[in-house]
Amino acid sequence: MDMSPYRELFISEARGHLSAFGELIVRLEDSSGDPAAIDELFRHAHSLKGMAATMGHEQIVGIAHLMEDHLGRIRSGESVLQTSLTDLLLEGCDALTRLVSGVESGSDSFEDTAELVGRLTSFNPAAETQTHSMATQLNRSENNPPDRAASAPHQFRQTDSFKSIRIRTETLDHLVNITGELITNRYRLTEAVRRADAVECQEPLGQLTALLRNLRDEVFKARMLPFSFIAERFPRLVRDLAHKLEKKVHFQIAGKEIELDRGILEEITEPIVHILRNAVDHGLESADERALAGKPCGCTITLTVCRDKDHVEIVIADDGRGMDPDVLKLKGVDKGLISPEQAAKMTPQEAYQLICAPGFSTSATVSDISGRGVGMDAVREAVNSLGGILTIRSQKGQGSRFVMRLPITVSIIHALMIRCGPFEIAFPLNVVTRTVDLKRSNIIEESGRTTVILDNLTLQVRSLRLALQLPETSGTEEALLPAVVCDVGGTLVVFSSDCISGQQEIFVRPLRSPLSRLRGVSGATITGDGRVIFVADASVLAESGNEGRFALQS
Amino acid sequence: MSRTVMIVDDSLFMRKILRGILVEKGYIVTAEAASGIEAMKNLHTKHPDIILLDIILPDSNGLDLLESIISACPDSKVVVCSSIGQPLVIQKTLDMGAKAFIQKPFIPEKVAEVMESLED
Repeated sequence: MDMSPYRELFISEARGHLSAFGELIVRLEDSSGDPAAIDELFRHAHSLKGMAATMGHEQIVGIAHLMEDHLGRIRSGESVLQTSLTDLLLEGCDALTRLVSGVESGSDSFEDTAELVGRLTSFNPAAETQTHSMATQLNRSENNPPDRAASAPHQFRQTDSFKSIRIRTETLDHLVNITGELITNRYRLTEAVRRADAVECQEPLGQLTALLRNLRDEVFKARMLPFSFIAERFPRLVRDLAHKLEKKVHFQIAGKEIELDRGILEEITEPIVHILRNAVDHGLESADERALAGKPCGCTITLTVCRDKDHVEIVIADDGRGMDPDVLKLKGVDKGLISPEQAAKMTPQEAYQLICAPGFSTSATVSDISGRGVGMDAVREAVNSLGGILTIRSQKGQGSRFVMRLPITVSIIHALMIRCGPFEIAFPLNVVTRTVDLKRSNIIEESGRTTVILDNLTLQVRSLRLALQLPETSGTEEALLPAVVCDVGGTLVVFSSDCISGQQEIFVRPLRSPLSRLRGVSGATITGDGRVIFVADASVLAESGNEGRFALQS
Repeated sequence: MSRTVMIVDDSLFMRKILRGILVEKGYIVTAEAASGIEAMKNLHTKHPDIILLDIILPDSNGLDLLESIISACPDSKVVVCSSIGQPLVIQKTLDMGAKAFIQKPFIPEKVAEVMESLED
């Protein structure tokens, strides 16, 4: 297993243990014999040892282990903490800190700790007296100059030039947050200037807007990482699983160089793993089955990343058995997810989305029926929460294709502001394909399905008023209803509203509990005049019946 | 087939590593908990099939927590994952109803192997 994705976390958590260790041991020296503090010291050394062992940093394991041994003896009353031991433990703590920094800088040459290990091993608390301790001190100052820390490799890394530095990811997150707040405040300022009719402010405000745009672009650029950052592990994953299932799979990745926000990359890794696993496990047929179908024995899975304006598309395609929409519908009815009437009206597009319904895809039996496996509800949820869209296409006997269309960045997006009764809702622009004015007379109500014909396509119409549980407005047949057309997993859905008030750049904040349980919204933003506006999750609102409403999730 | 998992460990590093291993093996990690209180809360809302439990947690006695989990969700399978090395403690967790024990530090293959053995 590739451990590199966990390195950052290892470093920050190891540092946490070490700084707590250093602090505690000094405190312990003052109020000697606090058993709780000994326990805690022991726990820090122990946890660090375990983490380092998992990461394969043997040098750290060795030192932490010896320190843990000494603490264990103190804990059991076998020995007492004396100054010489405190010194030694602190020295160990310093060495560990330097080793962790070495891990961080990625250098292969770690300092030589043999001498310290030797002293930690041979330290005998029983034999240790004050004079011995003095001797050790003297001895140590000969072998181990006290200014060693100053010359530690992490202070000035030979390999790094001053043109690039390492930045903690939290710092980058803070920068995005501050930039987002600045954009919100710029809207406030614009509003105030307009109200005060302060003409002299127009020009500097224009400058501010341009500068903020630059700032936003630069901050985002700093957060971008190539897709290859997460892609390295996929070939191995596919290979191992294919090997286990005795399938021959040719796996290709294209577009590894395309860059995405690191937050998105982090969130999208698991969904990709799920889809790849499903493809190998359930999507691809056995060699015999393929031979019967007249297909080549070797299967192909491709993972393609491509950039399209402000979006990135991640496509995972296989040439396996594909999915049968009719079988999916039957199963949906069987599981009580849809009624037989709903099933009859479903397009193949909608039928494929069924595999993402909770309770459908986690079923263990799904693999042998429809050819798709587990976790698709989690996949769709992850894609939606990133403001993206998951589209599934399939051809029975030919294979399946999963397309994740994602914004390049998450937190600052363009949105269409839509008014409905007293509410205003933001629709992320990346899901909106067009806006349209609907004539009431063109809306067709038929057997519980509301549709409209646009560009020769019959599209479902959902009323945002209904979704918000507001009464429908009455109007003449000729009255126009402003509406947005959204791409929801490959299906176009029309949302009717009261008014489309315009486009705006918004800073989306995630919702915390209890608001995070709201269905139909994926986040919230604060407008220039201080109002809180929810960001719509079009894929949830598009769901038929009562499902497609803003509601509290149980 | 048991597929959904909750990981209980106070170390974020450990939770993420375990999560990575499990996801690669096709499990769905529906919850993570850093404390006993969180674990009990998630237990009732997420109903995981499998619980990977570190029994050294800052807020609870691990064995008490194990007992509470098993009595609250007898259908969930608990795998204790800890660095406690004493055979007596390990045996005790198994006697209490834990399905398996993973010794920390672990190698990813070991975790996968134990998880797969639960299927039988």
